[in-house]
Amino acid sequence: MKTYKDLPADGGSNIVGQVTEQVNRLQRRLASVNHTVAIMSGKGGVGKSSVTANLASALRLRGQSVGVVDADINGPSIAKMMGVRGEQIDYGIDGVKPAISPLGVKVMSMDLFLKDDETPVLWESQTQRDAFTWRGTMEMSALREFLSDTEWGTLDYLLIDLPPGADRLPNLVDLLPNLGGALVVTIPSGVSQLVVKKSLTMAKKLLNAPVIGVVENMAAYVCADCGKTENLFPSGHTEEMARQFDVSLLGQIPFDPRISIAADEGIAFVDQYRDTPAGQTFFGITDEIRMFFK
Amino acid sequence: MKFLCLECNTAMEFKETATPDQGSLTAIFECPDCFAEFAMHMNPWETQMLKSLNVQLGGKSEAAQPMQMVRSFLSEKNPDNLTSEAPTGSIEGGGKCPFSSAVAEAFQEPAATGPVWTPEALERLERVPSFVRSMAKSSIEEFARENGHTEITTEVMDTARGNFGM
Ligand SMILES: Nc1ncnc2c1ncn2[C@@H]1O[C@H](COP(=O)(O)OP(=O)(O)OP(=O)(O)O)[C@@H](O)[C@H]1O
Ligand SMILES: [Mg+2]
Ligand SMILES: [Zn+2]
Ligand SMILES: [Zn+2]
Repeated sequence: MKTYKDLPADGGSNIVGQVTEQVNRLQRRLASVNHTVAIMSGKGGVGKSSVTANLASALRLRGQSVGVVDADINGPSIAKMMGVRGEQIDYGIDGVKPAISPLGVKVMSMDLFLKDDETPVLWESQTQRDAFTWRGTMEMSALREFLSDTEWGTLDYLLIDLPPGADRLPNLVDLLPNLGGALVVTIPSGVSQLVVKKSLTMAKKLLNAPVIGVVENMAAYVCADCGKTENLFPSGHTEEMARQFDVSLLGQIPFDPRISIAADEGIAFVDQYRDTPAGQTFFGITDEIRMFFK
Repeated sequence: MKFLCLECNTAMEFKETATPDQGSLTAIFECPDCFAEFAMHMNPWETQMLKSLNVQLGGKSEAAQPMQMVRSFLSEKNPDNLTSEAPTGSIEGGGKCPFSSAVAEAFQEPAATGPVWTPEALERLERVPSFVRSMAKSSIEEFARENGHTEITTEVMDTARGNFGM
């Protein structure tokens, strides 16, 4: 009897070959992207998406060609923040055309596929239990499609807004062997720092890409009346952590309610409020990132 | 997995996928020498795995459509964005993925006791763009079942349509 090795393939399905082809397609697509940067955080709600959106706009305002992938498949928010929620997207000649923000940032997000803001991301499957079991794989497939099937064209920067936590990092490494670097967003609270340390350790261990640096968000409050800066949390922890992990602290973004308001309106805060302390900090971080890749 | 016809000592070849029963997919293999066939029933778990990886049984004769997985398996989609078939020729030769559409369609098959389509109704269904067709088909069938219709006529389609606001 012939054995496994004697038979040419798996009855003609060549599953491995197909997966390889998916990988190749992804690599061909990303070949025209100069730097891919993943934005991660330990905890949710620390402002990762706000940072991603504003850095993308700031890079754009510095004359770079920029794309953003919303890898937070379940909690997409980038489309809204970049003012492209509800935008019509269409087929191009070689994939799907991304949505384009008023400043010219190319955006791909699950948001663009959902009916409205209330629609949750549900995958078709026989039972919701199956759907739950396979959720992670479906999400990674979706992210792979976002990366490989979007007509990014030539980009200086592709920013990836990751879901909170480090759970998905191992899969991301498979998807993005050429990741340029990661940016870690944190807030100066004790809990957040603890979680971010775990993420940093994970990132350093798993990513075959450097950690570009840490961004501290909601670092302080600038009084709108007198311009005085007040700390929201005891300061100094993030510097200490950065030192401990030997990564640079790229910037400390103050709390500014206009960041939130602008995001809700789909306006780029960095464009509208360039000269505020927060605006200046975003540009500062942008310059640090560009220096990093010089 | 590979399959061998013990009779002929020949590798069996993938032939087609068949209508699944309760969320499972069936792959049929055939011996190219004696034409013996056998069916491999996948459990819902395995079926879902193939879906989530967006690979197809029977090898890939054509490249996948852009955003195929997202478009095929997202439950509630924005009706304006990419709900139609991609233009042929997109992405390296393009074309549609027989496996995902097989899965998508297979899952929309009426149950054995489900409503029967009249030829007129089927003909009208054919005119629905192919990507939304399977969704339309299953919605109408569900509507028919819920309303106790054993046969789907063009009238039933009209009522269903009014009901969905289509
Ligand atoms: N520096 C800031 N000043 C004021 N508000 C901010 C600042 N950064 C973020 N926010 C607000 O905090 C909220 C959470 O921010 P965002 O959605 O960017 O966080 P996230 O880390 O992406 O969250 P998630 O984990 O849910 O994806 C938003 O309402 C945002 O507008
Ligand atoms: Mg977010
Ligand atoms: Zn004051
Ligand atoms: Zn045989």
